[in-house]
Amino acid sequence: MRNKKHRYVMYPAWEYQREIDDLNALSEAGWQLEKGGCFHSVFYRDEGVRYRYAVDYNQSIDDPARYRDTFREQGWEFISDTFNGWHFFRKKYDPALPPEEYEIYTDEHSVRDMAGRWSRLGYILGGIELLVTAGNAFMALRLPSIGSIIITLACLTLGVTILTGAWRIHHPSVAGKPRKSLRWCFSVVFALLAVGLVYSFFRFHATADSEYVYDPAAPPWTWEMSVSLPDFYTLDAEADVDAYVDITVTNKNGKVLAQMGGGWDLRAKAAMFLLPGKYDVTVQYAPDTPAGTAGIFRFEVD
Amino acid sequence: MGRDTEPLTESYFYILLCLYRGPSHGYGIMHDALRLSRGHVHIGSGTMYGATSNMMKKGWIQELPGQDADRRRLYTLTDEGREVLLAEADRLRHLAAAAESIIEGGETNEE
Repeated sequence: MRNKKHRYVMYPAWEYQREIDDLNALSEAGWQLEKGGCFHSVFYRDEGVRYRYAVDYNQSIDDPARYRDTFREQGWEFISDTFNGWHFFRKKYDPALPPEEYEIYTDEHSVRDMAGRWSRLGYILGGIELLVTAGNAFMALRLPSIGSIIITLACLTLGVTILTGAWRIHHPSVAGKPRKSLRWCFSVVFALLAVGLVYSFFRFHATADSEYVYDPAAPPWTWEMSVSLPDFYTLDAEADVDAYVDITVTNKNGKVLAQMGGGWDLRAKAAMFLLPGKYDVTVQYAPDTPAGTAGIFRFEVD
Repeated sequence: MGRDTEPLTESYFYILLCLYRGPSHGYGIMHDALRLSRGHVHIGSGTMYGATSNMMKKGWIQELPGQDADRRRLYTLTDEGREVLLAEADRLRHLAAAAESIIEGGETNEE
């Protein structure tokens, strides 16, 4: 039988009571916390003991030794802490003792202080997340893509969820009580982020370079693109050619999706939404172009 | 006197009260508070650390150097802390006297 167990669970700060309840339930099932963390916790197997756990969030401990001594004097054993101020303690469970024996904050003033620390953290993180959202939104508007839109939505959901949670902590009537919709928000955020990242990674991206000498008898120069994920794409075209050229993007049915034209020092962009399928980027010289006119072309689709 | 005008919380009041007769450690304060309050005031470790830190900053209590035989930290009341405690006790006495005069003494506020 396994003697160690790794658990990957993230609890929102306002659901501290659920985290404590889960740790207590695991202890009763024989799994004792060895190292607590924000995302990853380690447990060891010991069915001969039952603990009650306490999780404290405090980033402004002026005397860490006195902090731990204060807990130790009341029978709490320090387990571990995290880089961002979470402290895990445990005490052997004695059913004869009253429940208050396993509470670390016991008056309204200190509960309010603790809630204030948590909500401050939440407001800061939520604010940062909204700034990240604004940055993503700017990028998504500048170069729209389904991946960047999904990631922007995920960041927005995360920011709003954190700010809502921070607000909940600050309001004693709802603090500590889990709310299913907020819990689901985190699952939705991570699912959206995963989809957005995968989408961004696998979307079509290609470049083509060509030196082409015009021959009126030959078919126009064509670059075939094969798109597998539907998305917003931008065709970035550069040409250095002594003639006027037309550049078109067409699907296999011949429907023109984007068109641009120019000559000599052509720099042009065309945005389009492409469904999965094959597309042609075609360079068509003006009819009066002398045969043998050379051109250098560079295309990038992203 | 330099104390905040806000009334003390029960935890703050009992911590000061438990140190009135002499130095004590966190565990002793917790037990004495429970006994003196007839089981009503339990001061948890997080509350105890926060309260003692705040009161040390305000200069109401101080930590004595070293620890006792059980490695427990000892706290003692300062002169300012004593004044704060006495002022709070006085305030509570007045409140209790006012309440008693109405509830038990039969005094009314009708002219």
